[in-house]
Amino acid sequence: MATESSESEEEGKITGGNQHLIVEDDLREMGKKAAWSVSSCKTGNGVSSVRDDNLETYWQSDGAQPHLVNIQFQKKVKLQLVVLFVDFKLDESYTPSKISIRAGDGFHNLKEIKTVELVKPTGWVYLSLSGNDPRETFVNTFMLQIAVLSNHLNGRDTHVRQIKVYGPRPNSIPHQPFQFTSREFITYSIVR
Amino acid sequence: MEAILTERVQNSLRLFMFKNAIFLCERLFAEFPSEVNLQLLAACYLQNNQAYSAYHILKGTQTAQSRYLFAISCFQMDLLSEAETALCHANEPGGEIPNGAAGHYLLGLIYRYTDRKKSAIHHFRLALSIDPLLWAAYEELSVLGAAEEATAVFGEAAALCIQKQYLHQGEATLQISSEDYNLVSSRNFASEDACPRQVKHTQGNSYRDILGNNHGAAVSSGAASQPQNDGPSPFYNTPSPMASQLSGVAPPPLCRNVQPNGSNLNKGNTDGSPRSVVNTTIQAPRRKFVDEGKLRKISGRLFSNSGPRRSTRLSGDSRANTNANASVVAGNGTNNSSKYLGSSKLSSVALRKGQSRANENIEEGLRTEAVDDARANMVPVTSSSVSSGDVRSHGQDGATVLVGGVVISGSKVISGASEVLCLLRTLGEGYRLSCLYRCQDALDTYLRLPHKHYNTGWVMSQVGKAHFELVDYLEAEQAFSLARRVSPYSLEGMDVYSTVLYHLKEDMKLSYLAQELISTDRLAPQSWCAVGNCYSLQKDHETSLKNFQRAVQLNPRFAYAHTLCGHEYVALEDFENGIKSYQNALCIDYRHYNAWYGLGMIYLRQEKFEFSEHHFGMAFQINPRSSVIMSFLGTALHALKKSEDAIEIMDRAILADKKNPLPMYQKANILMSLEKFDDALEVLEDLKEYAPHESSVHALMGKIFKRRNMHEKAMLHFGIALDLKPSAIDVATIKAAIEKLHVPDELDDNL
Repeated sequence: MATESSESEEEGKITGGNQHLIVEDDLREMGKKAAWSVSSCKTGNGVSSVRDDNLETYWQSDGAQPHLVNIQFQKKVKLQLVVLFVDFKLDESYTPSKISIRAGDGFHNLKEIKTVELVKPTGWVYLSLSGNDPRETFVNTFMLQIAVLSNHLNGRDTHVRQIKVYGPRPNSIPHQPFQFTSREFITYSIVR
Repeated sequence: MEAILTERVQNSLRLFMFKNAIFLCERLFAEFPSEVNLQLLAACYLQNNQAYSAYHILKGTQTAQSRYLFAISCFQMDLLSEAETALCHANEPGGEIPNGAAGHYLLGLIYRYTDRKKSAIHHFRLALSIDPLLWAAYEELSVLGAAEEATAVFGEAAALCIQKQYLHQGEATLQISSEDYNLVSSRNFASEDACPRQVKHTQGNSYRDILGNNHGAAVSSGAASQPQNDGPSPFYNTPSPMASQLSGVAPPPLCRNVQPNGSNLNKGNTDGSPRSVVNTTIQAPRRKFVDEGKLRKISGRLFSNSGPRRSTRLSGDSRANTNANASVVAGNGTNNSSKYLGSSKLSSVALRKGQSRANENIEEGLRTEAVDDARANMVPVTSSSVSSGDVRSHGQDGATVLVGGVVISGSKVISGASEVLCLLRTLGEGYRLSCLYRCQDALDTYLRLPHKHYNTGWVMSQVGKAHFELVDYLEAEQAFSLARRVSPYSLEGMDVYSTVLYHLKEDMKLSYLAQELISTDRLAPQSWCAVGNCYSLQKDHETSLKNFQRAVQLNPRFAYAHTLCGHEYVALEDFENGIKSYQNALCIDYRHYNAWYGLGMIYLRQEKFEFSEHHFGMAFQINPRSSVIMSFLGTALHALKKSEDAIEIMDRAILADKKNPLPMYQKANILMSLEKFDDALEVLEDLKEYAPHESSVHALMGKIFKRRNMHEKAMLHFGIALDLKPSAIDVATIKAAIEKLHVPDELDDNL
C-alpha cells in the first residue's frame, strides 16, 4: 500500500504528509477517465487547478460548507486510493481539516465510506479506500465524492492543490482469471 | 565553357560540395539550357535533399531519364500518383519504363505504398529479372511474402543473365551500328558535351560517360590516361576493339580531358595500394552496370536524334586511338584479372554495405541511383549501385571484358559473378525464410555464411530478429549486442533489439541503448522506438506513446512504430485509437503479424470474439509457428465456445514451443471451464514443475480444488499462491475465495 506517515487507524487522524508522491507500481491513476466537478469555486481557481499537476495552483471554494469535489466515471471502476496535496504552511485557514469520502452510483445514493481528520498536513496525504476485509480492497463504484466538512482554524473556504485517484491495474491479458507473476509467464504472455 | 562547368559540377558532387555544385550547375543550365544539364541540376538538388527543387525543374519533361529523376523527386515528396504517371504514362500501358531495373523497382515501391500488391510484386520481379543483383527488389518481395526461392533468383540463370549483359555491352561497343552502341555512344556524346564532367570523376564515372557502359568507358579513359598515369592502366584490360571504340567515343574531348582525367585517375589510383585502386574500379562497374541497364532503355529515347551523327564521329575517332589503347590494355590483362579476383571479396563487402544501405534507406538508394543516372559521380552512389549492379562478367571465354574499368577475362567474370550470386543466394534465402517466419531455417541458412559476412551488423541483426520471432529472447539479445559491437552506427533492427530488452525487462540496458541511438541519429524512427519502449517498461504509457508518435512522424512508412503506438493506446485503454494505429500498420505492411495480434487482443477485450478469432487467425496464417499466437487463438476459440478446436490449438502450441508455459495454463483453464477437472489438474501439475514460482498456477489449482470441494488442498494452494506475491486484485480475489471456501459455488459470485 501507499506510504503514510503517522496515521492512527482508530482515530482517523492524519498529520504530516510527503513532499513526494510515491505510489505502488500496481496502481494507476484513474482520474483522467472521470468527469470532475466542484460545488463552488472562485474565478480563476476552479476544478482544473486540482488536476493540473501543478502544486502552485489550487481550487478555492466559494460557498457554504461542505465543499464537494465530485468524481464521476462512465462505468463502475475499482478504486483503492485517494491522494490529496494540502499544505497548512501555505494555506493556513484554508487547509481542509475534516474530510469525508463518499461513494455511490450518483448524487442520489452516495454513502460515506471513509472519514479522516487532517492535522496540519504538509504535503501529499494518502487516503486508502480499502476496508479490513480482503474482499474490500477496492471500492467498486460509479462516483466518488470528496467532501471537505471543515477547515483548519474554522476557515470558511478551502484550498486543495491536487487530487489523484488510484485504482488497480487491469490484467494486461484479457480473459485470464489471475494475473501472472513469474518472468517466464509474462515473457510469453504478450507479443509486442 | 560548358564542358568546364559540367566537369566542375560533377567534381563538386563527387566531393560532396553540394552548394558549390548547385550554384555552378544553375549557371551551367542558365547558359546552356539543355535537357542533359537539366538532369544534372536535378541530380544536384536530389543529392542535397532538395527533392522539391528537382520536382519543379523536371516537371513536364518527357525524356526517359528526366522522367525517372522526376519520379524520384515525387517519391521523396510523397506524391506517389505523380511519380507513377511519370514512370509509366497511364495512356501508354505498353510504354517502356525508364532505367530498366531501377525504374521497375521504383514503380514497385509506388505500387506497394498505394496498396496495389500484385502490381508491386510484378514490377519487383521484372526488376530482378533485368538486374539479378538488385537486392532491394528481392527484399521487398520477401516482405510482401512473394519472393521466390533465392536459389532460383540468384542462380544459374542470373549468372548467365549477368554475363549476357556484360557481353552485350561488349558487343555493343564493338559494333558501331548496333543499337546499343549507338545509344551508348550517343549517350557518351551527350556526355561529351560536358566532357570535363566525365573525365573529372573517378574512373568509373568517366567510363560511364564515355560509353555509358562499364567496359568501354573504363577502358578508354584508362587507356587514354595511360600516358600520364601508370596506376590505373594495369587494371584495364580491354579487348582491343572495345578499347578502340572507347577511345573513339570521346576523342576530341578526351584529348583535352585526358590530362585532367589522367590526373584524376592518378589521384584516384595511386593514393592507395593496388587493392584500393581495384576497389574503386570495382565500384565503378557496379554503378556502370546499373547505368548499363538503364542506359539501354533510356538511351534510345534520349539520344535518338543525335545518334547517327555521333556514331559517325565515334567510328571515325575510334580508329585513331585503337592502337594506342590496345597496346596499353593488352599488356595488363593478366594482372588485371588476378587483381579482379582478389577484389571480388572486396566487392562482396562493398556489396554488403551497399545492401545494408539499401535496406536501411530505400529513398537514399533511389536517390543515389538517380544521381547515377544524372552522371554525378558519387562514391556512395557508387557503392549503392554496387549492390544493384555488381560485377557482371562476360561469358565469353578468352574475351576480356571491361567491367567498370577493370578488364577481366571472360571466365574470371563468370566466376566473379557466380561468387557474388552465391553470397546473395545465402543472404536472400535467409531473409526470405525469416520473412516467412520459418526462423529456425533462416538461422541455419545464415550460419552457412562465411565468418566475415556473418559477423556484420546486418546479418547479426537478422539473426537477432530470427531468435526474437522464436521467442528466444536471450539468444536474440546476444546476437543484437554483437551486431551493435560490430557496427555501432547502424540502426537497422535496433527497434527489435529494444523490444527484446523490453521483454527481458532489462531497463538499464534498454535506457542505455535508447540514449546511444538518440545520440547516433535523432531523426531515425528506430531511436524513438527504443526510447518509447524504455518508458513503456516503466509503465509511463503516455510518454512512450508520445515517443512512438514521434517515430511515426519521422517515417510514416515504418510499420512497427504504428504497431507500438497501438500497444500504448491499448495500455491506456484508448481502444479506438489503438485500432486505428494497428490498421495503419497493416496498411503499410499487410504481413505485420504483430498488428493483427494487436487487433485480436483489442477485440478480445471488447468481447467481440468473432473479430478476435478472425484477427488472431490472420496472424496465425502469417506466422504459423508462434506458440503465443496459437495460445491466443485458442483463447478466442474457447470464448466462442469452440472448445474442441481450442484444445487442439493449445496442444499444437505446447508442441511448438516447449518453453512456453502459457498454452498449458490456458489449456487447464479451458478444461476447467469444461468441467474436466482431473485433466486440468494434471496439466497444472506439469506446469507447476515447469514454473514453480507462478502464483496464478497455484491460484487456479486452488480454484479447481475448491470446485471439487477438496478444501484442504484448495487452502494449501491458495496459501502458496498468496506467498508468491500476486497482484493486489488477485490477493483480494484469493483471500475472498479462502473465506468462502465453505460456501457452495452457486453462491460464490466472486470466483
